[in-house]
Amino acid sequence: MAATTAELIDLTVAAHARLAEVGEAVAEEWQYIQDLRAAWHPRLAEVRATRGSESASDAMAAAIERLTDETSRIADPHRAIDWLSTLPQAALAALGEARF
Amino acid sequence: MRFQDAARDARAITYASIQADPLVARAAELLAEADTAQRVLARAVMNGETADADGWRTAFPSAFDGATDAAARARSEAILEVSLAVAGRGDEVRNQFRGAIVEVLTTKLLERRVGAGAIRQERRILFDGRASEIHPYDVTVEREAAAEAYDCKWGARGINPEVLLQLDSARASAADEGQRLTVALVIFDARRSCAVRMARLTAPTGKIGLVALESLDRLGGVSQ
Repeated sequence: MAATTAELIDLTVAAHARLAEVGEAVAEEWQYIQDLRAAWHPRLAEVRATRGSESASDAMAAAIERLTDETSRIADPHRAIDWLSTLPQAALAALGEARF
Repeated sequence: MRFQDAARDARAITYASIQADPLVARAAELLAEADTAQRVLARAVMNGETADADGWRTAFPSAFDGATDAAARARSEAILEVSLAVAGRGDEVRNQFRGAIVEVLTTKLLERRVGAGAIRQERRILFDGRASEIHPYDVTVEREAAAEAYDCKWGARGINPEVLLQLDSARASAADEGQRLTVALVIFDARRSCAVRMARLTAPTGKIGLVALESLDRLGGVSQ
C-alpha cells in the first residue's frame, strides 16, 4: 500500500488521466474533459504540496486503492466523464479534506 | 406571472411514475439529512461499476468506520443500500432515477425554508404576451412576493445553454412585470466541475444561482 499522501494523490491523478482517455471517445465533450482535468489537478496538487509527506493511514490507502480500482473498470465513456468529477471528490473526502 | 401544471404527455406520465417510486423518496429523504461525504458516496455508488458493499465502505472511510456517531454510520449504511438499489436498475433507468432523486431532494431541502405548501414540481411559468416555454421547471416555489424556479441536474455535464436561457428568460420576464423570480440550478456535483462547465457556455449566467453538492443545504436556509 502507498505510504504517503503524495503517493495516494499520484495514484488518483493517474486514474483521473485514464478516465479522461476513456471519456475522450465522446468527441463533443473533449473540451469539457480537458476543463475537468485542468480544474481538479491543481486542487489535488495543492493537497500534495501541503500534505504530501504525511504518512497516510491504512484506511486512506485502502480507500484510494478501492476508488482507483473502481475507475479502472469503467469502459463506458459517458460514465468515465461523470467519474472525472466524482473521483476527485471521493479521493479528497477519503483523505480527510473538508473542501473540494 | 402565473404557474401552471405541465402538459400530461407521455414523457410526463412516464417520469411521474419514476418520481412516485418509493426508492426515490427514500433516497431523497436520506440525502436531505446527509453530510457532503455521504452525498459523494451516493453519487459514486449510483454511477459505479461494482455492487460490492464492502468495497464502497472501504472507499468512504469517513462515512463508515470513521463516522463520528452511530446515527451517522447508520445513515451511511442506508444511503449505500438505496444507492446500490438505484445502481442495480440498469443504465437507462438509473439515469432517470438519479434525476428524480435530485428533484425530490431539492423539494425536501426547500421545505425547511418555505414550507411544503409553496413547493411544486413540473410546472410551467406563464407571462402575459409572451409565448410560454414548453419545458417545465423541475421545482418551483410559488409565493407572491418571492417566487423561485429551479432546474435540477445529477451532474455538471447536464448544464447546457438551453437550460440557462430558459431560466434567465423567466427571471427577466418576471422583472418586466415588476415581480421577483429567483432562478437557480441545483446540481448534484461539485461546484468546481459546474464552474468549468458554465465558463464555456455563452448563455447568460450572471443572474442564475448555482447550488452545488457542497452547498445543497443553502436551499433550506443554511449559510454555507
